[in-house]
Amino acid sequence: MLRAALPILLLFALWEAAVVGLAIDPFYLPSIRVVAAAMQAQSGFYLDAYLVTLAEAALGFAMGGLVGVASALLFTRLPMVKDMVLPIFIVSQTVPVIAFGAIVVLWFGNTLMAKAAIAFYLTFFPVTINTLAGIAAVDARQVALLRSFGAGQGAVMRKLLLPAALPRIFTALRLSASLALAGAIVGEWFGATRGVGAMLLAAMFNEQIVSLWASILVAAAVGGTLFAAVALAERAMVFWREEL
Amino acid sequence: MTATKLSISGVGKNFGAVRALDRVDLDIAPGEFVTLIGPSGCGKSTLFNMLAGLLEPDAGGTILLDGKPGKLLGRTAFMPQRDLLLPWRNVLDNALLPCEIEGLPRAETRARAEKMAVDFGLRGFEKHFPQQLSGGMRQRVALMRTFMFERDLMLLDEPFGALDALTRSMMQRWLLDIWARYRRTIIFITHDIDEAIFLADRVVVMSARPGRIKLDRRIELPRPRDAHLLTAPEFTAIKRELLDAVEEESLKSFSA
Ligand SMILES: Nc1ncnc2c1ncn2[C@@H]1O[C@H](COP(=O)(O)OP(=O)(O)OP(=O)(O)O)[C@@H](O)[C@H]1O
Ligand SMILES: [Mg+2]
Repeated sequence: MLRAALPILLLFALWEAAVVGLAIDPFYLPSIRVVAAAMQAQSGFYLDAYLVTLAEAALGFAMGGLVGVASALLFTRLPMVKDMVLPIFIVSQTVPVIAFGAIVVLWFGNTLMAKAAIAFYLTFFPVTINTLAGIAAVDARQVALLRSFGAGQGAVMRKLLLPAALPRIFTALRLSASLALAGAIVGEWFGATRGVGAMLLAAMFNEQIVSLWASILVAAAVGGTLFAAVALAERAMVFWREEL
Repeated sequence: MTATKLSISGVGKNFGAVRALDRVDLDIAPGEFVTLIGPSGCGKSTLFNMLAGLLEPDAGGTILLDGKPGKLLGRTAFMPQRDLLLPWRNVLDNALLPCEIEGLPRAETRARAEKMAVDFGLRGFEKHFPQQLSGGMRQRVALMRTFMFERDLMLLDEPFGALDALTRSMMQRWLLDIWARYRRTIIFITHDIDEAIFLADRVVVMSARPGRIKLDRRIELPRPRDAHLLTAPEFTAIKRELLDAVEEESLKSFSA
């Protein structure tokens, strides 16, 4: 906790020093103290934005992670399905997320699920690809050993392929944490009234510079929360990382 | 006539254009300790892969286990050339892997593994992870895993190949001890002639690629065996005989 807090405090100090030392126009960069004061004055408002966006991003992230890993396992088990479905996955990723936004809002309305769906869309693919790569990297002799013990496909999957792919899966999840946040924010741009994305848009249109910077800090807090959760899970599950 | 545990006849293997193994014929009696020696690349591991059911012999070859043909997967206890321990499992859980795959009752196999860990010199290390172990210990865990998979026929592919000489000779005596206690049939691949003679009831020498059986030598040295045996005249006589055969084949595999 302390190791994460220290660099952030240092960054804030640098920020403040630059603003004061270089006499920067607050239009370009307001003082951190002013931003912090604004956030404190409207703490309920900012906390609401934090929680709303966190819920959207976390839900999309969880769905993306689960679907990503599950589809990679399915593809490994049934290569025919992989040959049919993976190209569709790839094509889906060539469509920019912005293009989907309007349709998703049309389908789901202005709901939590609409934003989560966009976050999901951005996250499942890197997880699928990395899980597949992790499984492909497993030593064939290791698979042979398990088969010599009479292991079927299911046992090889559970006891070897999935755990061996965990380091790669977590690499993808860390990347996906920030993608999920981006997805949730973009989702909010299609007419949401709550959340970090909505706050960012409002601040931009009204040229409320302090509020804009406050929104950025809240966005960073959401991203940091997701990232920390992934890092904690990784530390617990991939303690053996140095090998393989 | 004594029963045969394993009967190999006319077993060969091509990998594309490479003839890895020629026709191999070999019968092994129950409880026998057979060491297999031969130049690198002569097809020893390939033969093991076929005995473990991981690879099909080319047409014409048959492998009978307990006199019966049929699927071999899961019927022999196979220990590959590398320890292949799973880094996310501790010592005990690595050794329990084959039992888990078999679906044996957990509490029972765990108790058995805890007892066996003492025999394998792993007491106090049950909760350690492979990364925390020395090479010799890792090898003992891999061996214990092979013993936990209770099959009469064990295939050990250079289990001590990566160990230093001192650890190695300790492990050899220890393995004989374990073998005497658990009474399994063992085929043991090695590159070390001393090791081959010291352990075996029979030493089988293979030719350079494509592998065939060049020499099948019964070793009638008394058991239990200890380190002094290595300098006994009977031992050196056998060693000279085997060295001649092995060197001839090694030279062939170099000039080929
Ligand atoms: N899966 C495979 N595909 C193609 N060639 C193979 C395969 N496995 C083994 N070979 C070849 O077959 C030959 C025998 O290999 P094998 O591993 O059985 O030798 P070995 O006697 O165990 O050697 P070493 O003592 O070095 O372990 C080698 O020439 C090897 O390159
Ligand atoms: Mg080999």
